[in-house]
Amino acid sequence: MVRAALALPLLAVFVVPLLLSVALVLPDTFNAQGMNDVWQHPQFAGAFRLTLLTGLASTTLALFSSLLIVARSSRSLSSRAGGFLAVPHLAFAIGLAFLIMPAGILARIIAQFAGWSAPPAWITTQDPYGLALTVALVLKETPFLVWALASVLNRDDLRQAFAGQRAVAASLGHSRRSVFLQVILPQLLPRVIWPLVAVLAYGMTVIDMALVIGPTQPPTLAQLIWVDINNADPEVNARGAAGVVLLSGVILLVVATVAALLRCASTAISGFWSKGPHQSRLRLTSLRHLPQRGRRREAPDEVSSLWNAFRIIYVLVIATLILQSVSGLWVFPNLLAEHFTLSAWKRLLTDASPVFTSLALAILTATTSLAASVLWLESVPQSKDKGLLWLSAFALCLPALVIGLGQYRLFLALAISGTATAMFFAHILPVAAYVFIMLQGPYRGFDDRFRSAASGLRASRAHFLRQVKWPMLKAALFSAFAVGFAVSMAQFVPAQLAAAGRFSTLPMEAVTLTSGGNRALTAAYGFALMALPLIVFLVAVRMGRSRWRTV
Amino acid sequence: MLELRNVALKFKDGQDLIKPFSVAMKPGEVVTLMGRSGSGKSSVLSFIGGDLPDAFEASGDISLDGTELSAVLPEHRNIARLFQDDLLFPHMTVGENLLFAVHGSSRAERLDMMRTALQRAELGGFENRGPHTLSGGQRSRVALMRALLAKPKAILLDEPFNKLDSELRQQIRDYTFAHIAARNIPALLVTHDRSDAPKGGRIFSINANGEVTHV
Repeated sequence: MVRAALALPLLAVFVVPLLLSVALVLPDTFNAQGMNDVWQHPQFAGAFRLTLLTGLASTTLALFSSLLIVARSSRSLSSRAGGFLAVPHLAFAIGLAFLIMPAGILARIIAQFAGWSAPPAWITTQDPYGLALTVALVLKETPFLVWALASVLNRDDLRQAFAGQRAVAASLGHSRRSVFLQVILPQLLPRVIWPLVAVLAYGMTVIDMALVIGPTQPPTLAQLIWVDINNADPEVNARGAAGVVLLSGVILLVVATVAALLRCASTAISGFWSKGPHQSRLRLTSLRHLPQRGRRREAPDEVSSLWNAFRIIYVLVIATLILQSVSGLWVFPNLLAEHFTLSAWKRLLTDASPVFTSLALAILTATTSLAASVLWLESVPQSKDKGLLWLSAFALCLPALVIGLGQYRLFLALAISGTATAMFFAHILPVAAYVFIMLQGPYRGFDDRFRSAASGLRASRAHFLRQVKWPMLKAALFSAFAVGFAVSMAQFVPAQLAAAGRFSTLPMEAVTLTSGGNRALTAAYGFALMALPLIVFLVAVRMGRSRWRTV
Repeated sequence: MLELRNVALKFKDGQDLIKPFSVAMKPGEVVTLMGRSGSGKSSVLSFIGGDLPDAFEASGDISLDGTELSAVLPEHRNIARLFQDDLLFPHMTVGENLLFAVHGSSRAERLDMMRTALQRAELGGFENRGPHTLSGGQRSRVALMRALLAKPKAILLDEPFNKLDSELRQQIRDYTFAHIAARNIPALLVTHDRSDAPKGGRIFSINANGEVTHV
């Protein structure tokens, strides 16, 4: 009984709020008037088209680029993707916008060669086709999918199986590409369904990123709904709520359609792929795979050049934010501003309450999620993990609008809207989901014989946990904390709704600033939003590192 | 004296794994329990150690030097265990691994006991090295020393020689039995390989029906 009680914290901060939030949004499904109003919205058709376009295009492109990267890298990228993942979407979008906008750094660099004296007539951000939003999503989601794919490839049980199958296929004369397409890929894709659905759902419902870099007339469906939800008029508000349900339904429909299409096409696709090695190539490849001849040159550190391109873009985005945040007056074709100033940073630091609110919430929610997950994993039998893992994956695929709206209603009902408690719960839900998903595998993979060996040495459970188990799992524990911290820092929709105007966080402030004209201040907020999770991530990597350099 | 009385094992779903058997191990004696993989022989050790997995149910009594163990926590049973893998804690140095097992006394005394154990394992000067820098045989010796430093009243051996190559296997086997004899504590060895058993020692075998018989 006491042990079962240890599972309660995770249920209290994650499962119960999640289920209640969903339950509070579901009734809007039957609001016929609201649904009709969404349908009748003058911008509905255009917004709907944009949502489908940006969501599907960004997911497909991100999938292709992540597969290309994974297929061309012989080294595991799962640990290297972490730094990219720590960067909040919003901060990335702000930096990217400053990089590619008509008077942005990219245009200034081109102007040096092209001799432009005025910014080009580009519509690179907030373009009517949602291209900038799509590009931003691809750049941000590809590392996430690389991480998901690499974690599957890196799983202890699969890694060996894949290595064996690769060797067999190579001995049958298949090229590396052919092995990947015919042997690895069909086993890989079914295992990354959840991450793919999460990417699609995110792309179709993202708001903070779309407000910065997305189309405006019409905007995406999510933005349209967002405006309605924040409207005080009950009728407009109901239209927004109906829109939330409608958008979720659309996502479900898209996922179901894609799944059905893939199922129908899978025989045709595998027939297309399943070819034996080409005859003339057979000789060449089999020669190439003879190691004793030294023909097979596969550098152990080989990393796809596309991956390196991603790294360069991220560095450029970060550099842009820094440069922009200290730039004063900056006449167009010039590569550098007339003068540099720290006034934006001074302003950010004189009213630092958004920074501290975000920081406090991130530390609190990541710590709580970590503790609650560990309590669960220490007290609940592994067979019960499945349900919670499913719920976590579900929570990550659920549009933030659904959770945000449901929580908002819950907080109103409990009369805690606009309180610190509400802010805590609004932040911790996705944090707990991520932390549990990150921690479950390594924690359950721990060899329980260490516990038997330690109790044979008269070590109590507490002593064993402190001295043996947690130190051995410290890399997983620290990285779960870092991910939780980053997820909390990036919360926008549920936070904005729960705050009821009484709190401001870094992302809320940054979104507000992007509609104003102060570029330096916007960049400073964007950089702060990006830097904090990145620093925590780097510290976590450092602290999680093994004591021995060779391991 | 380690005594098992009418010890039986079954799966949670009721299926019998090992039928009731009794055996008493005298101080300094190594009794061998043989069985195929999946016969439940390792689970017998888990039951004695006090951490039988949830999938099993056990019945019967275990006593150590006259003390009934069923209500005693694993860490208070004073029974050390060795496994197929040495299970040295990878984040600790060799010295720290040994110190983990030393209880009570002053820091100076504990360090002294650790260094004496290292000398005995012919690993003097290895104190500050990581376990990963040791050879398989060296690691096995450290694991044995660590188990013995906890001053156990009995020791359970779960195929501890299984992963060693044949020459080393013989060597570590003799080394282990010699130390157990010197401590004069009872030991139970489970294995699937008859040649692991000490010469002249009593051997029990689990047959396909789960019956344990003296060989």
